Amino acid sequence: MAEAVRGGTAGDAGASAPRVGEVVELLEISRAWLVDPVAGREGPGEIVVRDGLLEAVTWLEGAEAEGIAPDGVVVAPGFVDLHVHLREPGNEDAETVASGLAAAAHGGFTTVCAMANTTPAADEPGVFARVRGAAAASGSPVELLLHGAVTVGRGGERLAALGELADAGAVGFSDDGSSVKSPLILRNVLLYAGMLGVPVVEHAEDAVMTTGAEANEGYVASVLGLKGWPVAAEVMAVERAIAVLATVLPDAPGARLHLTHLSTAGALDAVRRAKAAGLPVTCDVTPHHLGLTDEWVAGARRWAWEALGDDGAARDPWADGALVAHPYSTACRVNPPLRGAEDAAAVLAALRDGTADAVATDHAPHTQVDKEAEFGLAANGISGLETALGVLLAAVGARQLTLGRAVEALTTGPSRVLGDRGGHIGARGLTEGAAADLVVFDAGAAWTVTADALASRGANTPLLGRELPGRVLLTIAAGRLAYRDPEA
Amino acid sequence: MSEPTTEHFWHHRHVLDVDVLSAADIGLVMKTTDAMKEILARPITKVPALRGRNVTIIFYEASTRTRVSFEVAAKNLSADVVNIAASASSVSKGESLVDTIRTIEALGAHMIVMRHGTSGAPYLAAEVFSGSVLNGGDGWHAHPTQALLDLYTMRAHLGDLRGKKVVILGDVLHSRVARSNVWTLTAMGADLWICGPTPILRGFDTWAAHWANGRGPVGHDGFTVTSDMDAALKDADVVMALRLQRERMDAGILPSLREYAARFGLTRERLTAARPDALVMHPGPMNEGVEIAADVAVLDRSVITEQVSNGVAVRMALLYLLAGVHGDDAEGSIGG
Repeated sequence: MAEAVRGGTAGDAGASAPRVGEVVELLEISRAWLVDPVAGREGPGEIVVRDGLLEAVTWLEGAEAEGIAPDGVVVAPGFVDLHVHLREPGNEDAETVASGLAAAAHGGFTTVCAMANTTPAADEPGVFARVRGAAAASGSPVELLLHGAVTVGRGGERLAALGELADAGAVGFSDDGSSVKSPLILRNVLLYAGMLGVPVVEHAEDAVMTTGAEANEGYVASVLGLKGWPVAAEVMAVERAIAVLATVLPDAPGARLHLTHLSTAGALDAVRRAKAAGLPVTCDVTPHHLGLTDEWVAGARRWAWEALGDDGAARDPWADGALVAHPYSTACRVNPPLRGAEDAAAVLAALRDGTADAVATDHAPHTQVDKEAEFGLAANGISGLETALGVLLAAVGARQLTLGRAVEALTTGPSRVLGDRGGHIGARGLTEGAAADLVVFDAGAAWTVTADALASRGANTPLLGRELPGRVLLTIAAGRLAYRDPEA
Repeated sequence: MSEPTTEHFWHHRHVLDVDVLSAADIGLVMKTTDAMKEILARPITKVPALRGRNVTIIFYEASTRTRVSFEVAAKNLSADVVNIAASASSVSKGESLVDTIRTIEALGAHMIVMRHGTSGAPYLAAEVFSGSVLNGGDGWHAHPTQALLDLYTMRAHLGDLRGKKVVILGDVLHSRVARSNVWTLTAMGADLWICGPTPILRGFDTWAAHWANGRGPVGHDGFTVTSDMDAALKDADVVMALRLQRERMDAGILPSLREYAARFGLTRERLTAARPDALVMHPGPMNEGVEIAADVAVLDRSVITEQVSNGVAVRMALLYLLAGVHGDDAEGSIGG
């Protein structure tokens, strides 16, 4: 482990090494780069964790601060993921609650919000109880929050047990995997969830327009002969949801709409306008939609910002020698699809300007069987919990994003979306006296994404084999050890 | 095109798409096809080149002409041919493509010729198969042997295609033939025009725009997409009509076959805008009276049946070239 970190880890004198789930009795981190998005401050500093509490946060100045930079060891509040699929119950061969929480901890996340599209769907509190039982049994201190379904079985017709789910702690209602099918149901759930004070989390996709769709509609899909997945399908669904929200607000002033995994300039513009108009709308974007583009489907493996020409238009991977991998890798198949470089740039811009409130991974592990298929028949989804930080740090390294904004988007941003339903840690600062809930990573240390390196059962990521910046050294959730780099 | 001046060796283990073929590779295919044509002109058209090799032909889509063409090609080279008529239903029965390919390999196949309804499927096959995969058409994506036989046929009549105006007419959106022809024809320096009603050109205008302004593959000389039939056909050297599927009407993409035939059908009258000796081509099967008038299909300058016979020679050439690539000669990559 980096020299800055002392105590609380194996082999270090003066403290016993806690195991995952145990309270961290003593941990001192000296000479690190601290990021506190609540205080709006980052810089050289030191922290002390004692008996699970963040005992001291010391900011260093002058000579003491010399040589401490944000490209070394960084301490930040634990990350929050608004959107993960843990596959339990029903698809435990793809992921379990235990493996998903381990993946979260490895990615620096201390709170994750699981989507309701399990089998059976989380449309009544009994499913919550089962998932929570699995979380407790896992011994992981990572906090698992739960979204409930909007409709029974996510079938789009009858409302799920919304009130009971809210009583059981649902942090949002979502039929994620698809949009709420009918605008009437969307209106009704916004009214009812508004009464309950729970946001509706909408997967924005016009399913008619995306029937049979395989890859982002555009140059790459045209060349590869893949059925186009139109940008308009997302824009329309976002505009529909915003229009419906505006009409329910007089009756349900508590109604809130959160749009998840937005991937297009048009959708983000719609959110930007809605926010400017004062509507209670929030949204998140994924690491893969800001860092990767549709040319990955063709076999390119460069970052989105490298795929954009000086003229602001996407470069041509066939013309400039960027195709280095096999085309049609099903690891690149995801919903919404990887977009063009212009849209990816718009996603990054929305993250910078605050239109996007949060980065969420849409962690979607799949079995090899479900991915080892023809591109058009393979399951949609990317396993993302463990690579999110790396993709964001790559953007930071390329000066596309500041470290501070990246950390905000993983902490205070999602925490604000959750509001007071956001679990026991709250605001996500480095607050003295509070339970230690933080991640320590070495921004200067790279690691290679391999199936073995991933704690998730889903190795379905196009980043497999790639070196990413930002090795997570330690994740502490609610004062307990969630992850420790075994090699540190 | 520039013919290879020095001897050029084939180094592709698979033929999955034509986009990775260099001008020299294409030249070698043409030269080898010449040799196969000679064989086909003999009284006995069988040579022992692939004796002892097992070529398994697996078609997930119904096709007679292409499947038979491959079969004849392989048998002319004395390969042992196994034919599998797979159906999409085997997918729903839970047998994955990967399982099928492994089974075919275990049964002794050295080469697989595959037709599949899903774009990119041959790449998956190539990933798990230790021999060579020859793409017999995948989804909307690629139909390498068709593009190469089209090219061979054009060159037989026109020689060097540099600057020659080649028009592809019709439903390119859903056409693997069109996509593969874009690559081969632009690589040969043809002045490529694509023409049809806008809804079934979708994406190709973006493609052409991408390749404008000095972008795109080296050597390409014009790639124009238009709905203006007159502009497209004017002084054309080659006009290739594509089949219009009835399902385009069912899907609400186009109004009617009648309207299509009236506006975009290749008729004698329209053809007068092209050069007097312009070649008429069609990859088949034709809808006579829809995309091509019956009397156009049988004109002297129609080379549609010649395409079919050249198809056997081109497929023989590719099977022969692939059979010569193994071990250290082969580029390991799927793209290779």
